Amino acid sequence: MPLQTVQNVVVIGSSAGGPRILKEMFSGLPKLKAGMVLVQHMPKFINQSLKESIERVTGMVVAIARDGDALENGKVLIAPSEQHVAFVQNRGVRLFNGQKVNFVCPSVDVAMLSLLRFSGMQCIGVILSGMGRDGADGMAHIKHIRGVTIAQNEETCAVFGMPKEAIATGCVDYVLSPGAIREKLIDLVGIAHR
Amino acid sequence: MSKNVLVVDDEPVVQYSIKRILEEAGLNVTQAGGGRECLDLLRKGYKGLILMDIIMPEMDGWDTIQALVDEGLNEGNIICMLTGKEIPDAKMDKLKEYVLDYIRKPFDNQKLIRVVKDYLNFLD
Repeated sequence: MPLQTVQNVVVIGSSAGGPRILKEMFSGLPKLKAGMVLVQHMPKFINQSLKESIERVTGMVVAIARDGDALENGKVLIAPSEQHVAFVQNRGVRLFNGQKVNFVCPSVDVAMLSLLRFSGMQCIGVILSGMGRDGADGMAHIKHIRGVTIAQNEETCAVFGMPKEAIATGCVDYVLSPGAIREKLIDLVGIAHR
Repeated sequence: MSKNVLVVDDEPVVQYSIKRILEEAGLNVTQAGGGRECLDLLRKGYKGLILMDIIMPEMDGWDTIQALVDEGLNEGNIICMLTGKEIPDAKMDKLKEYVLDYIRKPFDNQKLIRVVKDYLNFLD
């Protein structure tokens, strides 16, 4: 795995309603100075369609994650269905088969809980619309490693389950609409310059 | 883009209302009055976007999804739930990865068309 280190890691967890909310959130989002991983609960056959839907509206590079991929500034890695994704030293990802966690695979919690605290590196967790509580423990973990946490607000959620559970942990910094999340991410990590 | 939408709802008024709105938007709408009818259509090879009511007599939306997942009929079909004010039951967590969205009733016509067309694009 390349030794490139990103200064900012963003993990987005999303479930029901996510595909259209992600399109709104990514709309007009420039290349950020961050490596991003997206965990969307979805059937496998739409992985590619989701990738294309997001890359049509953003300046970020979008790819389906492969085992061993490195994080890169300005790039979104989408966790493929039916495999968990975990970070390796916050620099890359590994994919692995495993039992469902919170009834899903990939699980947002598995990804978020694998983040480590490194000085000079900022971790950001974003939890979007969805049923259940996947991501709640992960968001608390990100807060505990001194990261920043953002949950989607109730008004704009298809289902206010996952954000509600994350907020209930007391570890969410911001509760925002998809458009406001986009602006907050730009504020927090900045735009990547070539 | 696929143009096929299957509306599964036991209330004829809802069925016809959605059918009219989506057909005027150029989509092909098929109706099913309940879970069993939905399963019959899928067994015959129907592919498209399924708008599924949650509360239905005999076989509710969740029972229907469980049955179609058990038979592998979800492959190639996108499922969105039609809901009123009810909050999805946490017991149904195990089926959540098969449901891509929730559309609240009563719905705004233009928003319904936009969301449905967005998801049909996923079926290319």
